[in-house]
Amino acid sequence: MNVLETRDLSHDFDGLQVLSHVELGVRRGERHAIIGPNGAGKTTLFNIVTGTYTPRGGRVLFRGQDVTGAGPHALVRLGMGRSFQITSTFSRLSTFENIRMGILGRRGIRFNLLRRVAAMPDVTREAEEVLRRINLTAERDLPASLLSYGKHRALEISLAMTTDPELVLLDEPTAGMSRDETKTAVELIRRLTEGRTVVIIEHDMDVVFSLADRITVLHHGEILATGAPEEIKANRAVKDAYLGD
Amino acid sequence: MTRRAVRWLAGVAALAVLLAYPSLFGIYFTNSFVTFGIFALYAVSFNLLLGFTGLLSFGHAMFFGAGGYGTALALTHLKGLPLLPALALGVAAALALGVLLAPLMVRISGTAFAMLHLAFGQLMYVLALKLRTITGGEDGIGGFPIPPFSVPGVLSVDMKTPANFYYFAVAVLGFSVFALWFVTKTPFGCVMVGVRDNPNRVAYLGFRVPHTKAVVYLLAAGSAGVAGSVFAMFQNLVSADGALHVFVSFAPVQLTMIGGVGSFFGPILGSAIFGVISELTSRYTERVELVSGAILILVIMYAPLGVIGMWHAARARARARFAPRGAAEPAR
Repeated sequence: MNVLETRDLSHDFDGLQVLSHVELGVRRGERHAIIGPNGAGKTTLFNIVTGTYTPRGGRVLFRGQDVTGAGPHALVRLGMGRSFQITSTFSRLSTFENIRMGILGRRGIRFNLLRRVAAMPDVTREAEEVLRRINLTAERDLPASLLSYGKHRALEISLAMTTDPELVLLDEPTAGMSRDETKTAVELIRRLTEGRTVVIIEHDMDVVFSLADRITVLHHGEILATGAPEEIKANRAVKDAYLGD
Repeated sequence: MTRRAVRWLAGVAALAVLLAYPSLFGIYFTNSFVTFGIFALYAVSFNLLLGFTGLLSFGHAMFFGAGGYGTALALTHLKGLPLLPALALGVAAALALGVLLAPLMVRISGTAFAMLHLAFGQLMYVLALKLRTITGGEDGIGGFPIPPFSVPGVLSVDMKTPANFYYFAVAVLGFSVFALWFVTKTPFGCVMVGVRDNPNRVAYLGFRVPHTKAVVYLLAAGSAGVAGSVFAMFQNLVSADGALHVFVSFAPVQLTMIGGVGSFFGPILGSAIFGVISELTSRYTERVELVSGAILILVIMYAPLGVIGMWHAARARARARFAPRGAAEPAR
């Protein structure tokens, strides 16, 4: 069964066509990579699926429910999570406060003005548990902006996971990372996304082929091919357009 | 002694000073303190928007004025209205204005937010001047009765005595400041700061940014209304120039900048510093604005995070100097 589906999805920016008739199907529990050259429309696809934009044409279905045009907050509450290509954390808040924000979101504590957050031991414990799992305990009280690049990216990825989403969309999680950092990040992604459905945009082919169960190739806003990694590697059109020989 | 005990003692000492203040310092400084308290709450309510939610308003006076006019009108037209309901009606007027504007204002930010507030603030100012039959035009509304603080059958405290009004004002303003401080410590306070830092991420954690902003907006409007209402009763006068003028809108900007935008207590400290400066300069010259303006320029140039920001930076430097090498803590 498909957790996420797009039907005949099209979008343009002032006449510049960025997506045409995209039919994406993401199965429950799989790790699905979306690859393609710059400008292929990958991030736009993410932005539409996660509610940043409303598409010009077509529909988005999440767990069988039509969610076209729903806002980010509604989709997150339905079980979607997202990380960004450009790190998007609360830079002036500490690592702990960043994670705690996510925990508050997951628990639906949105308008509590009557209790001090410091007097909520469950929330604190849960946030500290997350920090421990992602190896950021030592950086607990450091502002996010002072984290090293790799750790800041790890925070970004885990922030998307704090709301306990069923489906996670990761936009180039390893962008700009060194070899070692990439290895650590892939390990982290593997660990944090266990039992979840993942859609990942990625340029690093080693990461793609080591993580993904299935791959969709996007080219000029159209789906060129979808299939298992071996099928994609062997696909003539994909080689010509993107992977090369 | 534990930290907790020290805090407790400091609290008791502060309370004792507040209680003894009128008899210690006399009428003149008692009234100065009430003015300080009014502007401190007004600036704190402003900084709830700017410092905590990232929204700069150039028209905060309209809520201050709505509180003042609401209370003044209520006391003028409703015979025998008690003190607290008069205050409540002023706050209700400010809240009503907030409810009216919120649907638009929570969907914008940055320059648009600042300039639209300037525009609506000026609109309120002009309306107060033009709707003479209601607002008294340039003269404003004055001479309305100030009811005693009364618990029927138990006590009735005359509010025309400066010391008595001081206790009433300090209680109301102090409670309001405490309530706002408390809000910043709640989960909602966390979300507020999140909206300031990264509204997009807040939305992607399942919060509705406009709704969050709306609640902050109403808190800020209502507490500015409290300040305005107390101001009207304190002066026994409310006028367009005194409560709605664009200078009244810029006052909290200035107080917050001087004290420190990054801290809850910054605007309060700013109000205190400003109060002392204008008190001292007014002894030598009438050009108080000239001096306070010059100080504002110096603060913006050399201490953009205000006096509290300067203090934090100095402490971090001292720590870095005295801490063992490599053990310096990052500034928070």
